[in-house]
Amino acid sequence: MQLYDPTVAGPERNYVRAAALDSLEGKTIGVLENSKLNAADMLHEIAALFEQRHGCTIAPVFSKKNASAPAPGETLQAVAKDVDFLITGLGD
Amino acid sequence: MSLNAARIHEVEDDLLAAIDYCYEQGWTDGLPVVPPDVKRVEEMLLYEGRPAEAVLASHPATGLECTVHAAAVNAVMAGCKPEYFPVVVAAFEAMNEPGFNFHGSTASTGGSAPLLVVSGPMIDDIGMNADVNLFGPGNRANATIGRAVRLILLNVFRMAPGLADKSTQGNPGKFSFCIAERARDNPWPLLVEDQDYPEGVSSVTVFAGGGFCNVENHGGNTPEQVLGSIADAMANYGSITLGQSVVVLSPEHMRIVAGTGWSKRQVQEYLFAHACRTVDGMRSVGKFRQREYDKQHDNGGTSPLVEDGKMHRGLSPDDILVIMGGGDAGGHSCFIPSWSRERLSIMQSKPIGVCIDCD
Repeated sequence: MQLYDPTVAGPERNYVRAAALDSLEGKTIGVLENSKLNAADMLHEIAALFEQRHGCTIAPVFSKKNASAPAPGETLQAVAKDVDFLITGLGD
Repeated sequence: MSLNAARIHEVEDDLLAAIDYCYEQGWTDGLPVVPPDVKRVEEMLLYEGRPAEAVLASHPATGLECTVHAAAVNAVMAGCKPEYFPVVVAAFEAMNEPGFNFHGSTASTGGSAPLLVVSGPMIDDIGMNADVNLFGPGNRANATIGRAVRLILLNVFRMAPGLADKSTQGNPGKFSFCIAERARDNPWPLLVEDQDYPEGVSSVTVFAGGGFCNVENHGGNTPEQVLGSIADAMANYGSITLGQSVVVLSPEHMRIVAGTGWSKRQVQEYLFAHACRTVDGMRSVGKFRQREYDKQHDNGGTSPLVEDGKMHRGLSPDDILVIMGGGDAGGHSCFIPSWSRERLSIMQSKPIGVCIDCD
């Protein structure tokens, strides 16, 4: 008996990790909140720790309106121009 | 992908062994599947006019794509007859609309299942059930079309429980959640007519639904009494949100409601106006959100029926899909809440087996 495979092959994607920062000192931190109930508050608390401990500057908050969909490419590109690193999380 | 490029597994010429093989590969929803025999898949493909490699849906995060061929393989496994396949195809095209957000609604802890509502002449053509035991077992078309959608999510998009599907509790509709709108003795225009598809066309509407909520009312004899009990279910603290709703009126309830001349629009408006909670009540259970209240009430409100000091279910009467379905006897209607607490998944519809205004 011959059976077709019900799965499909995924696209070839060349994922690479971003190069690690040499140091966090004085860097600009981005916050991407996802509109979940507590996301902005939680992420601000975390960003504040980077500010206190490493002298980071917090960039204006970026938002995505749909927590359950990937961040739009334009959003990520815009964030990447303005920050050295980014934090995000659910915050439900 | 060409047909020949699809991977083929050579297995022992023994049906039971083939079923076990499918289990071993991790291709099932927990129930046995029909082994996707090459000939059966090719018979299925005869019911779709596009090439086997045509893409029906794409996953926004992983880039995985569901082709016509992959859908056909999974439809065979679900137990679909070939003539059901156009419904599966149309359902996934609807789910692929960005507004439906099939990734989010499948992956979420919310545990939603895509409810498929089929409307129009296709129901009789393929023998779907719109009558007794509407949501229950016993009809091959209803059961297997809904199951095919789940198998595609599992096998093609790899949205397996615990991996990409993080449902806290899930719901039984995640095995299959497909119904037909009842046309017999239905006093209202059918859903497909409201959707303005050409005469003779059928449609499938997809809704990222939470669990099924039965609404029993055998004592109410007026539209207000029957609809009041449905509105109460819609506004229960566990499910009241800004999301959309599906309400399936039983024929017995429909006779009470439409028998006194109520239109579908009146029913939607009554349900929207009465499916609400006070702000204080919402606060009492910790579910009041100023942001959500503002969204519903700012600038005069999203509907003239929005009342100050109250949170309604949804944004307007248009958010409530009302159809008739089920057996003649029994004061049992139902309400199905949206998965989305806000507007992260909006129901979508597509015509079945035809292309309207396509390029």
